[in-house]
Amino acid sequence: MSHNLSHHPDNVMLVEFSAGTLPTAESICVSAHLHFCEQCRTELLRLDQVGSQLLTEAEPAEIDESLFDTVMAKIDSAEASPKLATAEKVQSFPHSVSKLIKNPQHQPIWKRLSASVDIARFKTGQSEFEVALHRICAGGKTPKHDHSGVEYTVVLKGSFSDERSVYKEGDFLVRQPGDVHQPMGAQNGECICLSALQAPIKLSNPLGFLMKPLLRINPM
Amino acid sequence: MLRKTIDIVDKNSQPAGRVAVLNTSEKRSDEWSLLLISVGAERDRQAFAQLFKHFAPLLKSFAQANRHQGWFPGLGEDLVQEVMIKVWQKAAGYNPEKASATTWIYTVARNCRIDMLRRKSNTQHLPLENEDYWHEPDEDTPVSLLRQKRSETKVQDSLSQLPKEQDEILRKVYLEGKSHAEASEELGLPLGTVKSRVRLALQKMQILVSPEYQDELSHES
Ligand SMILES: [Zn+2]
Repeated sequence: MSHNLSHHPDNVMLVEFSAGTLPTAESICVSAHLHFCEQCRTELLRLDQVGSQLLTEAEPAEIDESLFDTVMAKIDSAEASPKLATAEKVQSFPHSVSKLIKNPQHQPIWKRLSASVDIARFKTGQSEFEVALHRICAGGKTPKHDHSGVEYTVVLKGSFSDERSVYKEGDFLVRQPGDVHQPMGAQNGECICLSALQAPIKLSNPLGFLMKPLLRINPM
Repeated sequence: MLRKTIDIVDKNSQPAGRVAVLNTSEKRSDEWSLLLISVGAERDRQAFAQLFKHFAPLLKSFAQANRHQGWFPGLGEDLVQEVMIKVWQKAAGYNPEKASATTWIYTVARNCRIDMLRRKSNTQHLPLENEDYWHEPDEDTPVSLLRQKRSETKVQDSLSQLPKEQDEILRKVYLEGKSHAEASEELGLPLGTVKSRVRLALQKMQILVSPEYQDELSHES
C-alpha cells in the first residue's frame, strides 16, 4: 500500500480538475485546497493553458448564421431585467465551502460525533462521498479508525496531527482504504476540516462497536 | 474600437516598462485579449462579433468532442450560446494579467460544459456550479503578464511536440472529458502507464512548480 503523504492533490486530480472531469466531491476538496495554495493555483493556470491550446487547435465546426443574432437577443433581454446585486464578502473559507454552508435547500448543522468531534454534513448532489465539515476541539482526540474507502481532507482552520505529521491550514490529505489513523486537534484552538469520505468507516478501538452507529455514513 | 495597450512588464526580471517582442502567434492571441477588454469596458458589439466569429466554431467543436455521460445532440449550439452570453456578461471582470482571452474563454467553456452535462444526467439538486470551484481569493498575487505569456508559449510549443502517446491521453481528458481511468480502459493501458505519460507531458510543458521540479524551471529561465 502506498501512503500518499504529499499535502497537495496529485497531478491526476489537478489535471482532471482543469479538464472539468473530476467528480463533485473531489472537486470541492481540490477547490478548498486551491483557496490556500498558490503553488497549485499556478500549476492549474498552466493546465488551463493546455485546455485552451487544445480548444484553439480544434477543427472549427459549422455555425449557423442566425446563432449570433440569437445570442445578442438573449443578451439584450437579460440586460433589460435587473439583476440581483451579488455582493461578495471577504471570506476566510473557500467559496465553494461557503456556498455549501449557505445552501438554502439544506442548511448544514453541527452534530456531536464523539466527545471532541462535531460533524456538519453537506448536500452536494451526489452520493458516492459523504462531504462534511469536521470540528475537532482543542487537544481533542478522535477515535482511532480505519477506512474502507478513500477519504480526502482539507484543513480549513487551525491544525491537527496524527502519527505521521502535523497538518495546517490548506493541507490536502488522502487516506487510502486500510489506512488506520487517530487525528488529534492542536492544543491551541479548534480545528475545522473539510472531508469527503467514500464509504463507511470502521472503528478499530475496542469500544468501536459503540461509536459505529454515530459514524455511519449518511449518503446525501 | 478603442484599443487599450497592455504593458508587458515582468516585475521580477525585466526593467519596468520594457515591452517584450512577441512572435506572431502571441500577437494573435493578444488581439483576442484586446477585443475582450473592449467588450468588458465599452460593451463593444463589434469586438464581441469578432470574438464570436472566432470562438463559436471552436466552442461547438469542443462540445461535440465530448463523450461524457449526459451528452446530447444539441449540446454544441447550446454551449456556444451559453458560453458567449457569459463572455459578454463577465468580460468586465477579465484580467489580462492572469490569463489570455483564449485561456479565460476555455475556463468559461469548461465550466459551462460540465454544468450542462451534470444538469442533464443528474436528478438531484446541485448546490454548486462548476464555476464555484474556481473562485480565487482576492489577495491572490497576480502573475505578471510576461510570466503568464512565457508559460503559455512554453505550453503551446511543447504541446505540439509531445509524442503521440502523450498527446492522445491529454486530448481524451481535455476534449472528450474522460478521466485517467476511462482513458486507460479505452486505450487498453494500465492506469499507471496513463498516469506516467501524463506526468511526462506535464514535465515537458513545465507545468509542475512543486519544489522537486524547481531545478528544471530555474534552468530554463
Ligand atoms: Zn497545493
